[in-house]
Amino acid sequence: MDLQELRITASLAYLDLEEEEFEKLQMAVEQMLQYFSKMMEVDIEGLSPTTHALVHENRTRPDQVLPFEDTESLLENAPETEDRFIVIPNIL
Amino acid sequence: MSSLSSWIGLLTDPKTCDSYIHYVEGLEPQIGAFIQFDPRIGLKGSLPEGPFKGVPFAVKDILAVKGFRLTCGSRILEGFVSPYTATAVERLQRAGAVVVGKTNMDEFGMGSSTDTSFYKRTNNPWDTERVAGGSSGGSAAAVASGMVPFALGSDTGGSVRQPAAFCGIYGLKPTYGVVSRYGLVAYASSLDVVGICAASVEITEEVFSLIRGKDERDQTSVDEAGTTGIEGSHGKGFNRMVQRIGVVSGNLGLDPGVERAYRKTQEVLRSLGYEVRPIELSMLEYYAPVYYTIATAEASANLARYTGIRYGYRPEYAENPEELVRKARSEGFGEEVKLRILLGTYVLRSGFQDQYYQRAQRIRTAIRKDFDRVFEEVDVILSPVFPTQAFKHGVEGLDPFQQKVADRFTTAANLAGIPALSFPAGLEEGLPVGFQLMAPVFREELLFQVARKFAEEVPLLKAPSNTSPWS
Repeated sequence: MDLQELRITASLAYLDLEEEEFEKLQMAVEQMLQYFSKMMEVDIEGLSPTTHALVHENRTRPDQVLPFEDTESLLENAPETEDRFIVIPNIL
Repeated sequence: MSSLSSWIGLLTDPKTCDSYIHYVEGLEPQIGAFIQFDPRIGLKGSLPEGPFKGVPFAVKDILAVKGFRLTCGSRILEGFVSPYTATAVERLQRAGAVVVGKTNMDEFGMGSSTDTSFYKRTNNPWDTERVAGGSSGGSAAAVASGMVPFALGSDTGGSVRQPAAFCGIYGLKPTYGVVSRYGLVAYASSLDVVGICAASVEITEEVFSLIRGKDERDQTSVDEAGTTGIEGSHGKGFNRMVQRIGVVSGNLGLDPGVERAYRKTQEVLRSLGYEVRPIELSMLEYYAPVYYTIATAEASANLARYTGIRYGYRPEYAENPEELVRKARSEGFGEEVKLRILLGTYVLRSGFQDQYYQRAQRIRTAIRKDFDRVFEEVDVILSPVFPTQAFKHGVEGLDPFQQKVADRFTTAANLAGIPALSFPAGLEEGLPVGFQLMAPVFREELLFQVARKFAEEVPLLKAPSNTSPWS
C-alpha cells in the first residue's frame, strides 16, 4: 500500500499519525497485506460467508426500553461535565 | 491435584483473608499480574451462600465488574470505572466467589505477550525474564503463581489458551456463544468468547458449569437445547466416551522442545488406551491470514466507539469536536491497536471488501467444513497451542509479525466456533509446554475427560514462584 492510501485509511479511522509512525506502520501494514494475499489461493466458489459460527438465522428481541438505575455512575466517567451535560469544544 | 476446597471460605475469615492479601501483595511486584488488586471492593456487604463462598478469583481487565476499573490495558480507557457487571462474573459472584482484582492484558486483547499493555509488564511465574503470553497474560500468571485458583479471560484467537500453555495451567475456550459476552468489551465480535484460566481440570469444569448458559442480554448467546438453527460439527454419533484422538500432523514448524513434548504427549495418550491417529487439517496454512482479516475488520468497527467524548482519555486541548476525537484516538491507542485499526479499515473499504473480508468469511466456511469432516473420523483433536514456549521480553523474543504467524494453531477453534482446552504437558528445559484438545461444538466434556485422564499420568507442576499454601 502506498503512503497516500495509508493516509486516506488513517483519516477514515480518525487517526492522526506522526510521520515516523506512518513510516513504521506502512511497513507493518504492507507485511500483513502480503500475508492476507495468501487467501487468493483458495477456491471460494460455492461457499457462503460465515457470520455467526453456529447460528444461521437472524435473531431479534423486542424493541423495549429497559431502565438503567445508576445513571450517575455513567456521568462520572465523562471527562468533563457541567451539571448533567458533557462538555465538548465549540462546534462553530 | 489442585481443587477448590482449600480456597473455600478463604476471604470470609479475616485471619486467612489477611494472609491471602499479604501473599499476593508480596508476590505481585515480581509477577505484575494485576492492573488493579483490591479485594475490599468485592467484600463489601455480605456474600451470598454458594459453593464458591469466599473463593478469590481474578478477572481480565476487558470484562466489566461494577466498582472496578475497566481499562482493556489501554490508555484510552484510563480511569474508567465500570457501572455494571458482566454476566459471567455475576454468575460466579452469585455462587459466593469474590473478585479480587483486574488482570493485565495486551491492549484490547491484541497481542501474544501482554507487552502491549499501556500499564505494566507481566512476567512469567516460571521465569520472570519471559512473557506470560497473551493477551490474557495477567490472568494466567495470577493462577500460575497461586494468587487465585482461577481467573476469567477472553479468547479471540488464542488469548486464553496460549498464556495458559506458557504458564503451565489450564485454559478453556468454550464453544462460541455458550458463555454470555454481556460485559465483555468487544474486539472481534464473531470470534470473541469468555474463557477460563484455572489450576486444574476440575476447577475449569466447575467454573464453566457456573458461567455457561444463554443470556438474553447477549444476542449471540446460545445453548444446545434451546436454540434452533444451529449448524456445525456435532461429531459423529455423539460419543460419550472419547476413543479416537486425531493428532494434527505434518510439518508444523515447532521448536525442538515443543516437538519433543508433542511426541511424548501422544505416547501418553496412547498408553492411556486411546486410539491416536494422525490427521491433516487441510486449511491450516490459511487460519492466521483469515483470522487476522476478520479480526482486524471487526476490531476497526468495534473500536470506533472510543472518541474521548463520553468517557475515557481526553486530550489536553482541542479546537473542535472532530479534533478532539482524532487526538483522543491518536494519543490514546498504542501502536499495535493502530496497526489493526488501519488494517481493518483498509480491508473494509469499498473496493477491497470482496478481496479481503468477504473472501475471509467464505474461507471460514471451508474451515468449518474441514472440521466437520475430521470430526466424522475422530472424537477430539490434539494440536499444538504455539510453536514456541514462553519467549523473552523485548527484542530477544518474537517480533509482532512472528507472533501473529504463530497464532496458526489457536485461531482455528475461534474461526470454527468449536471448544478447545489448553492443558499442561510437562516441562522442557524448565519451562512449561501446553497442548490443546479441540472437540465438536457443545462437547466441552470430551475435553475435560481426556485432560483429566492425562493429568493422572502427567501431574501438574507448580511454578517456582508459587508458594501459595492454598493451591
